[in-house]
Amino acid sequence: MARIRKVLRLGIVFSVLALALPLISLKSQEESPGRSFVLPNGLNVFLYEKHDLPLVNIVVSVNAGSKDETDATNGIAHLLEHCLLFRGTGSRSGNEVSRDVRRHGAYFNANTGQDLTVFEISLPSGEADFALRNEKEVLFDFALTQADLDEEKAVVLEEMNQTDDDPQRHGMDLVMRCLFNGHPYGRPVYGRPDVVRAARVEELRDFHAKYYVPNNCALAAVGDFRSREMEERVRAIFGPLEKAGLEPASIAKARLLGKSVTCQEEKDVKEAYLFIAYIGPDCNHPDQYAMDLLTEALGRGFNPLLNIALRSRRDLVQNLNMAYIPGRFGGAVIVSLTLDPGNIAAATREALNYLRKSREENFSQDDFMGDEKYSVFDFLGSAKNRIRFSAEQAEESGLTLASSLARFMLQNERKDPGRFLDHIARTNSGDLRKAASVYFGKGQCAVISIVPKKAAEAGRKD
Amino acid sequence: MARSWIAVAACLTFQAVALIAQQSSRPPPWKEKPEKLRLVAGMDCLYQRDLSSPITSVQLFIPGGKSAVPGGKDGLSYLATRLTLEIPDLSVAQDVMFHGTRMDVAVFEDCSVVGVECFSENLDDALRVVSKIVQDPLFSGVRIDNIKNVMSIYGKAEEDEAAEAGQGAAMRVFFGGQGYGSALFGTEASLKAIGKKDIKAYYARFFTKGQVLFSVCSDLEKDKVRPLLERYFVKFKEPRAEDGLPPSPPSLPVDRTIVLDRDTKQTYVGRAFLLPPVTAGNWAKGYLLEVLLGKGPGSRLWDLRASGRLAYNVGARMTWMKTCGVLEAYLETEKEKKGQAVSALDETLRTLHEKGVTEEELRMTRSLARAQLLRANEAKKPRAQAMGVWEVLGLGFDYLSNVFDNIDAVTAAELNAFIKEVLDPDKSVLVLVGRTSLP
Repeated sequence: MARIRKVLRLGIVFSVLALALPLISLKSQEESPGRSFVLPNGLNVFLYEKHDLPLVNIVVSVNAGSKDETDATNGIAHLLEHCLLFRGTGSRSGNEVSRDVRRHGAYFNANTGQDLTVFEISLPSGEADFALRNEKEVLFDFALTQADLDEEKAVVLEEMNQTDDDPQRHGMDLVMRCLFNGHPYGRPVYGRPDVVRAARVEELRDFHAKYYVPNNCALAAVGDFRSREMEERVRAIFGPLEKAGLEPASIAKARLLGKSVTCQEEKDVKEAYLFIAYIGPDCNHPDQYAMDLLTEALGRGFNPLLNIALRSRRDLVQNLNMAYIPGRFGGAVIVSLTLDPGNIAAATREALNYLRKSREENFSQDDFMGDEKYSVFDFLGSAKNRIRFSAEQAEESGLTLASSLARFMLQNERKDPGRFLDHIARTNSGDLRKAASVYFGKGQCAVISIVPKKAAEAGRKD
Repeated sequence: MARSWIAVAACLTFQAVALIAQQSSRPPPWKEKPEKLRLVAGMDCLYQRDLSSPITSVQLFIPGGKSAVPGGKDGLSYLATRLTLEIPDLSVAQDVMFHGTRMDVAVFEDCSVVGVECFSENLDDALRVVSKIVQDPLFSGVRIDNIKNVMSIYGKAEEDEAAEAGQGAAMRVFFGGQGYGSALFGTEASLKAIGKKDIKAYYARFFTKGQVLFSVCSDLEKDKVRPLLERYFVKFKEPRAEDGLPPSPPSLPVDRTIVLDRDTKQTYVGRAFLLPPVTAGNWAKGYLLEVLLGKGPGSRLWDLRASGRLAYNVGARMTWMKTCGVLEAYLETEKEKKGQAVSALDETLRTLHEKGVTEEELRMTRSLARAQLLRANEAKKPRAQAMGVWEVLGLGFDYLSNVFDNIDAVTAAELNAFIKEVLDPDKSVLVLVGRTSLP
C-alpha cells in the first residue's frame, strides 16, 4: 500500500532501546496502573494494565547475551534464541508451535543483545493464558535435537550474511567490536560463523541450563487485562519452575578508550557511511541522564548542534544521527553519518573537533546573561521536551512498553531509581558539559567508515 | 488434515452465517468510532479520539502522490510536498521544535502526506506554523536544490537496500517507469529535469481546498481540534477545472526477469504479481493473502526458511493503488543458492495457486490478520495514516471500523478464487538483486 521514508530508522531503533530503562519510572506509584512482585522462585514480574485495545503483550527477558559467551562459544546465545523460538519443545515440534501461535493471532519474536535475550508475544487479550503457557514452554522446556539445530544454523548464517550486506547494521557491528575491543561487549552478537557452524546441541543445552532459570529472568505483561487475574495466572503457570543456583556475571565495566581506533571497509554501496563512537556511561550510572540529553542536543531533532558544526563552513554531511545505547557494563555513544566519500576525512576532523569542544558549549538559555538569553535557542530545553515526547509516545504501544519493562527489571541495579523524567528535568547545562568533558574530552574514539568500492580505489590512487 | 474442496464448499453457507453471528457479538476494537467532519472551508477531517497519550497526530493528505508524476519527472511528488515543510524563518522552526513537535513527509502511491505530531497542549502553535508554510510555500532555487540533494541521498540509500531496490524495480516494469512506477526520490536525470515551474504546477493542482484531507487522532475532543483547523487552514485555493492525466494502468512487460547486479553476500529473489482494482473485499482478500504467504512463523514462505534452509528473511508485501495492487513474495538468500531459491519460491507459489488454502489455514490466517491489523494501528500516527489512505483509495475512512468484518467475511472459496486469479505465474515478474552472474 505504501512506502514510508525511514529517514531516521537507526535513530528510532536506538530511541526504543534508550527508552527501555526509563519507562518504568515515568509515573508515580499513585497514578501507575502497574504492579510488580517476585515469585518465590525468583522470577521478577511487572503487570501494567492498558485498556486502549483488546491486546495483551507478554515479554520475558533472560539475563543472558553475548556478554556471557567466550570467544570459543561466540554466537551460542543468539543461536539458542533462534532454536527456542522456532525449533519446538518437549511436547510440540517447531511446526506445531508456529501453527499454535498463528491460530491464536500472535506476533511472536525474540532478540538477543550483549546483555539480554528478550522473547515477545503479542496477541488478542482473550488469549493471555495461551501466551503465558507458550512462553513458559518455549523458554524452559528445552528439547532440541542436533538435526533441528543444524537446520537453524543455516538460517542464522543467512542472517549474518544479511547483516554484512547492510551498511548500517554492519557498521554498527564494527563499532561495537572496535569500541569494546577486549571487553565481552566487543564480541559480535551474531557470533562467529565458524562457531555457529560447529555448534553442538550439548553446548546449547549447557548454556540453557545455566541461564534459562526463573531467578535469571523477568516477565512483563502489558495490555487489556485485570492485574489481579493476571497475577494469579502468572503464579500458577510460572510458579512451579524451580529456582537454580546462579553466579551473577562478574564482568568489568567498560573503560574509556585509551587510544583511538580507525577502521575502513569497502562495500558495493552508493554512499559512504561514517560512524564515530565513544564509550558512554552504563545504564545505572548517574551520568546517563546528562548523556541522554547531550545526545539529543548534539545529534538529534531539528538542526542539532553537531549538524550546525558540520555544515557551518562546508556542507560535509548529508544525514546525521546520534544515539546513546546504555548497557549494564558500559554504554556506547555513536554518531552516524551518511556522506559523500570524498568528505570523510574533513567530516571526521570537524566532528571530532566539535565533540571535544562541546564541554564548553552553552546548551541552555540560562548560560547567557541579560537580554542575550532571549535571543538564543535553548537546546537543553528542546532536548528535554523531545525526550518527554518520546516517553509519552512509547505509551501508545503495549509491546514497546512491555519490552522496556522486562529489560528494566534485569538491568536496574539501583534501589530507588526514581522517575526518569524527574532526573531529566533536574539535569542542567553544567551536567551536559561535564559529561562531554568526561566522555568526549578524555576518552578516545572509534572511527568506522564503509565506503563504495570505487571510492576506496580512487582514495588509494590519491 | 486438509479437507476436500467439496467438503469446504458445503460448509461455506453455515460458516458464513456462524461468522457473521460471531462477529456481530464481538465488540469493536476501538473505544471511539472514527468520524468525518466537514470543515467550513469545504475540506474534510477524519477524526478519532484516543486517550492513550497526551499527543495529537495530524496527517494532511494531498492527492496525487506517485500516480501524478509524469514521465521523466520522478521524485516530483516528494519534492513538491517536502518543500511545503521548509520553514523560512529559523527562529520559528526552532520555536516549534522546542516543544518536541515532529513534522515529516511521506509519499504514497495515490497521495502525499504532511504529518505533524505534538503534545496536544501545543497543537495550536504547531498548526499555526505548519498551516502558514504549507499554504504559502517558498519555492526558491536554493531550497529546491537543497531538497534535491537530500533526495539524491535517500535514493542512493534505498538502492543500498536490496528489498527496497527490488520493489522499486518491480513497480518500474509494471508501470513503464512513470506514475506508480516512478522512483520515489527521483533519479539523477529526473531531478535535473524538474524545474520550479513543475513544482508550482504540482502544488497548484493538488494543494487545493476541495482535495486536501485531514486525518487526526488525538486525546482532545473534536470541538477543540476542529476550530484550530478551521482557523488556520483557510488559504488553500479552489481546485482548477483541468485535472491532468488519470493514473497509468499496469501492464505486463515482455521481459519478465529483472536483474539488478550487486556485489553482495546475499541475493534478493522476489516474484511480483498484479492484483485487481481495490475494493473493500479485495483489500481484505489481499491482506489475508499477504499474511498467509509471508507474515511470521507458519506462513507458506516460512518453510523456505525453516526446512529449506534458504533464508533468514522471507516475506510478502502488498501495495494497493486506486487502479490495482501489487503483491511481492520474496526471500534473501546466500548468493550461491540463488537458483535453488528461485525454484523453491516458485514451487511454493505454484502449490498455493493450484491447491489453494484449507478452511483450517484460513481460520489461522484470519486470526493472525486481525491481531496484526490491531497492532499495526495501535499508535496514533499509523492509525491516522491508515484512515487517510483508505479514504484516498475510495474504501472510506470507516474501513478502520469494518475491516475486521471484511476479513471475517472472506470464505475459503472466495480466497481461493482470488489466489487463482492473482498468483498466475504467467502474469508475474521475477526480480533478482545481487550477484546475478552466478548460476
